[in-house]
Amino acid sequence: MTGHDLDRACIERLLAGDTSAMEELYDRHNDLLYSLVRRIVMIASEAEDVIQETWLHAWRSAGSYDASRGSVGAWLVTVARSRAIDRVRSEGTRRRTREAVEAEPQGTVAPDPLATAAETQRRERVRAALGQLSPQHQEVLDLAYFGGLSQAEIAARMSAPLGTVKSWTRQALARLSELVPREEWL
Amino acid sequence: MSQHREEHLDLCAGYALGSLDDADRQALEAHLDEGCPICAAELERFEAGAALWSASAPPMRAPQALRRRVLDAVRAEAAENPARGTARGAADVGTFRPERPARARWGWVTWGLAAAACLIAVVGVLERQEATRRGRELTAAREELARLQARLDEERRWADVLTAPRAVTVQLAATPDGSPNLGARATYDPETRRALVVFSNFTAPTGNDYQLWAILKTGPSSLGLVRADSTGHAVVRLADAGDPASLAAFAVSLEKEGGAPTTTAPAGPVVMVGKIGG
Repeated sequence: MTGHDLDRACIERLLAGDTSAMEELYDRHNDLLYSLVRRIVMIASEAEDVIQETWLHAWRSAGSYDASRGSVGAWLVTVARSRAIDRVRSEGTRRRTREAVEAEPQGTVAPDPLATAAETQRRERVRAALGQLSPQHQEVLDLAYFGGLSQAEIAARMSAPLGTVKSWTRQALARLSELVPREEWL
Repeated sequence: MSQHREEHLDLCAGYALGSLDDADRQALEAHLDEGCPICAAELERFEAGAALWSASAPPMRAPQALRRRVLDAVRAEAAENPARGTARGAADVGTFRPERPARARWGWVTWGLAAAACLIAVVGVLERQEATRRGRELTAAREELARLQARLDEERRWADVLTAPRAVTVQLAATPDGSPNLGARATYDPETRRALVVFSNFTAPTGNDYQLWAILKTGPSSLGLVRADSTGHAVVRLADAGDPASLAAFAVSLEKEGGAPTTTAPAGPVVMVGKIGG
């Protein structure tokens, strides 16, 4: 049984009210979700709130997961990212982030030594593949994915025509799906 | 069906990232609603690519306490309302929505269903907000309860010193260098090596501090300064007063402010002494 199969089985168990399935999903996916959310939300306490909201959403809305649209991992990533971007767009968080950046040294969280070796290796392979994208493609994806910027905002930020940003976005995502073998997809 | 154009694929990429402006998003959704197979396939590929980009975030370690907090919150919600928790239906994914919504294609029936779904979603959101608020209050209350329980347990451990079967009580007596008004009583449990020492009339003269000592077979060992309140009362809790095989007595010295220069010998006069078992 693959990790995807186990995840889908967990969703069915959640729908049956089995909260222990949530523990399995948490242990398999939370490292990635936390890394993603911390990349977007700089304040640790706010990031932890987002993580809690994400898992509560998974519990409440397991019935909205549609396997035909992608894996459980991709669904969780989408939910976590949406909520993280919502959080940083709130005025209170922007203010607190400015204060935190001024008050705290950044990058103090250590890499996870507890992640399973297989998952760590998979993520390393994926990261190595992502690193092969051109700097422009990486920047476009960073600004859109982690920054939550619109294509017009990205064009302004990169001083590039909007049409060029649209092309870069498409090229970057197409290249990503080529660089990472399908069996490594989330 | 509107004709598929190359620019639709550019829009699919932006759509997968949630970075289209409203006009582009609505144009693409209208095209997707018509069932363009090329865009559907490409959108799936782009969404997979977008999810992969999450792995470019530097690996971080979530605090272990977060796991407990999250799972407790889920269990609390499941216990409060098991029937509602995992209901199939509209999802509240936040206002930023890179997620592809389901596409409907049937005229007024669709609109009627959509309106009903919106109503259900609004009611659901309000209910979930209330449940979230109650969940947070419950979590906070549980944390406060755990904190109070830990404090209570700690207090019980100290109270156990007073009632321990092998505990000994030592009444310290003033020496010729000490005021006869000074009072001190130590209760020592040789099993746990904990001790409670209660002082009265221990207001130190200005520029001085009283210092408590364990008198061991190897010599004195400082147990710290005695800081009395404004009435001269003080209670000192000692997590390890000394090895029962070596501890012979408790003593108090009057030192210059800040205590003796070393922790192995009083520098000022010894004002009280109480022998264990004496």
